[in-house]
Amino acid sequence: MAKVPRNFRLLEELEKGEKGIGDGTISYGLADGDDLMMSNWNGTIIGPGHTVHENRIYSLKITCGNDYPDRAPTVSFLSKVNLPAVNQKTGKVERLACLDSWKRSYTIETVLAELRREMANPSNKKLSQPAEGTFF
Amino acid sequence: MALPKRIIKETERLMAEPAPGIQAIPHDDNLRYFDVIISGPAQSPFEGGDFKLELFLPEEYPMAPPKVRFLTKIYHPNIDKLGRICLDILKDKWSPALQIRTVLLSIQALLSAPNPDDPLANDVAQHWKENEQDAIKTARQWTAQYAHA
Repeated sequence: MAKVPRNFRLLEELEKGEKGIGDGTISYGLADGDDLMMSNWNGTIIGPGHTVHENRIYSLKITCGNDYPDRAPTVSFLSKVNLPAVNQKTGKVERLACLDSWKRSYTIETVLAELRREMANPSNKKLSQPAEGTFF
Repeated sequence: MALPKRIIKETERLMAEPAPGIQAIPHDDNLRYFDVIISGPAQSPFEGGDFKLELFLPEEYPMAPPKVRFLTKIYHPNIDKLGRICLDILKDKWSPALQIRTVLLSIQALLSAPNPDDPLANDVAQHWKENEQDAIKTARQWTAQYAHA
């Protein structure tokens, strides 16, 4: 298979993100529309229903380095959230299966979708949460 | 990963007989991925500039068009802020009879003949339509600022 280079891969992801993903419970876009290198992205996760996260809107930042997608992006929550995957001092996502065993086929969407599943995970969905609208 | 013969042939010819003002060199580690430099055509606002682009031949090539974008900032109504190019042969007018060379020549021609009636960068196109002289002046300034090697 042809190996899609970083920039063209990110352009594909951008176009998919602009069209909107599924039911809109996760979304992402470029942080700076002028950034030719497409390194910095904003992400949003809407908390899953029937959990403590219901109706909360979480903001994240995602950084795709020069070796993306051969290497995982770095992902941090801007909004405060209590999840085992998230460093409670910095908001950085430090323990997430898809980041820890990253594959080239994974995308920004993969990461956001897995984080949303983590919120709905039975062991996490009742964790007490910081006040809504607070930031790391 | 065997490279189709057509791509090998096209690459050899691009290297042996480059089109004037166009350079395309494949990456050592990905022979479908090219670093491209197009010189701004004479008598265009891009004259004197060297514009970097990247070109990728997807798995489906030549049944699907190459993907191309500018890496150098350029003030042009058919090229957006991320360097994406609005050109019919890169989309619905693609034909497998076209080649990397013809694509790059078409992009070079687009620099000589901006088309503000089919814009990708709306603000630039509006500037071009309302005050062409002033838009050309901005394009020249950007060429001097960003496209000098």
